[in-house]
Amino acid sequence: MIASIAVMAFGALLLGAALGYASVKFKVEGNPLVEKIEAILPQTQCGQCGYPGCKPYAEAIAGGEADINLCPPGGMEGVRKLADLLGREVKPLDAEEKPKQVAIIDELMCIGCTLCIQACPVDAIVGAAKQMHTIVGSLCTGCELCVKPCPVECIRMEPIVQNIDNWKWKYPVVDIKRVA
Amino acid sequence: MSETMSVEVIYALPKKQEIVPLKLPVGATVRQAIEASGLLQKYSEIDLAKNKLGVFAKLAKPDAALRDKDRVEVYRPLIADPKEMRKQRAAEGKVMKKGAGEGEAETEGNTK
Repeated sequence: MIASIAVMAFGALLLGAALGYASVKFKVEGNPLVEKIEAILPQTQCGQCGYPGCKPYAEAIAGGEADINLCPPGGMEGVRKLADLLGREVKPLDAEEKPKQVAIIDELMCIGCTLCIQACPVDAIVGAAKQMHTIVGSLCTGCELCVKPCPVECIRMEPIVQNIDNWKWKYPVVDIKRVA
Repeated sequence: MSETMSVEVIYALPKKQEIVPLKLPVGATVRQAIEASGLLQKYSEIDLAKNKLGVFAKLAKPDAALRDKDRVEVYRPLIADPKEMRKQRAAEGKVMKKGAGEGEAETEGNTK
């Protein structure tokens, strides 16, 4: 009697320890699919998809609530990658594709109001109250969120001109033709 | 955890923006960060008596202590006079938008 209880108790302890070890060792942080989707999204945090940022959009895609073609900065390439990852059909982008751009502040007009700084989702504008505001080109994602808040309309968007420093190979795109 | 913290010092010009990442001892001040960044030597036009300093879009005194991951910013004075700009725009009959009026801004975007 005692021996059988001891055997069962020992077994329970052993399996409990194994489960406890496994839950620590193979712990999955959050939803791995959300992270994979987020890695494809361009991290402009621009909200053009209708979600407050790239992560909420990634969560919505993973949850099946959102379509994959709502991200204009990601462009058709982003849609294609998302379709690849999720096994969904490639759809045309739900907006027109724009060239990559950055915001530029007209220094002769800036009045140092900080409204654009508050609008910038990526802290790409350097400036403070009554000081010149300047956009850091390397941080600007071209999301246009700073353009509208400016009370003196001194921010404009400029397309990034392709030069030797930022030229990239275009990914080859092979269209799959439907047979019959 | 450690004795150092990482901060950035940034000086932004329209054409070129200089970002200097730094490792500083905990408790370093805004002034120490600027001095350690070497921006004063590189850009002789920076005058700590004239150029205001700040951390993440908030003006800060040179002896204010920094925290880890702070971004020290060297500002430049405005060129335009805010009051004149506002007067001029009013005279031209342009409306000054107040704040980032979300609803208004969105309807504007849709009509464009």
